[in-house]
Amino acid sequence: MKRRLTFRSIAGAIAFGWLFASLFAADAQGQRRNTAQPAPAAGPKVEKIDEKRFAELLKPNGKPLLINFWATWCEPCREEFPDLVKIDAEYKGKIDFITISLDFEDEIATTVPKFLVEMKATMPTFLLVTADETAAIQMVSKDWAGALPFTVIYAPDGTMSYFRQGIVKHDVLQAELYKLLKPTR
Amino acid sequence: MRRKLFLFVALFSLLAFNLTPVSADGGIEIGQKIENFTLTGIDGKEHSFSSLMGTNGAVLVWVSAQCPVVKAYNDRINAIAAEYEARGIRFIGINSNATESLEWVTSDAKEVGYKFPVLIDKGNVLADKLGATVTPEVYFVNKEGVLLYHGAIDNDRSGKNIQDHYLKTAFDAALGGKAIEKTRTNAFGCTIKRAGMAGE
Repeated sequence: MKRRLTFRSIAGAIAFGWLFASLFAADAQGQRRNTAQPAPAAGPKVEKIDEKRFAELLKPNGKPLLINFWATWCEPCREEFPDLVKIDAEYKGKIDFITISLDFEDEIATTVPKFLVEMKATMPTFLLVTADETAAIQMVSKDWAGALPFTVIYAPDGTMSYFRQGIVKHDVLQAELYKLLKPTR
Repeated sequence: MRRKLFLFVALFSLLAFNLTPVSADGGIEIGQKIENFTLTGIDGKEHSFSSLMGTNGAVLVWVSAQCPVVKAYNDRINAIAAEYEARGIRFIGINSNATESLEWVTSDAKEVGYKFPVLIDKGNVLADKLGATVTPEVYFVNKEGVLLYHGAIDNDRSGKNIQDHYLKTAFDAALGGKAIEKTRTNAFGCTIKRAGMAGE
């Protein structure tokens, strides 16, 4: 009896010790993970938008408004992006510039911000999720079938001053923006 | 006299250009007829539109070997084609991308398993005529070649949350002798890489 008790006591102590050690180790590992792993890189936040917010974004706010529609799956979109980043740097404060991504919703925190970081892009980027793309496309232009990339410039009064389906060139954008920004006599 | 003649020709050309009826997107409108055309298929043979026409119409599907949106739609295109070819609607794939070689388009069509002919629109002549600009993009006509529906296949590129099967709904309405409710839709997709804009 005494022998059995001793055996039980030893087994219990070992089990308790193992449990305690495991919990301690796990906690310590968790703490290490928390302290050693840096916070995710502060990449641009991509905001998901619906049709309502999309309609609001199409309205200029006192300045010329440049909007680029793109997607990471669209090769010409990726190709023209460095020029757009350049335009953003050149016209900061003079115009409002946003980009609207048509990537799949599950890429909002992965592929899309990753690409923006690669491009060193800082312009506000939104991801449109809508069940009615026809309505969204026609809100922008009746002459647009939905092919990407698509770039549009609205004058401060809301009239569309320029649009381009396909790759847009840096100097063309400069010329179009100049028309809206040149001093009036 | 020469100058007057030049001015007359110039003025006439300008007027003729401006008076040519075109739809909002520079192509064909619902209710208009797609005239017969002939294109070479990836099988190397010439195919006329009229020879491919189904007993209940046909659908021209603009495809691409490189467009990820087309790739996302290929299984759906094949499934719809199988379902509706059995009901007399013929599928015809059209590739107008100047950036895609015949070899590439052929191997892609084989890999994807298109069971319908794929025709090469060299110089994007047909795309220009009908106003096709994006892939995938469909034109559904009745057996007389009159355009009944133009636009997207459905409302969701990902295929995860389809709420509106535009093309199938148009087929069902036409086959049932009913009016098609949505005759024109748009969807985001890849730009057709036209000749001359290759590399853009």
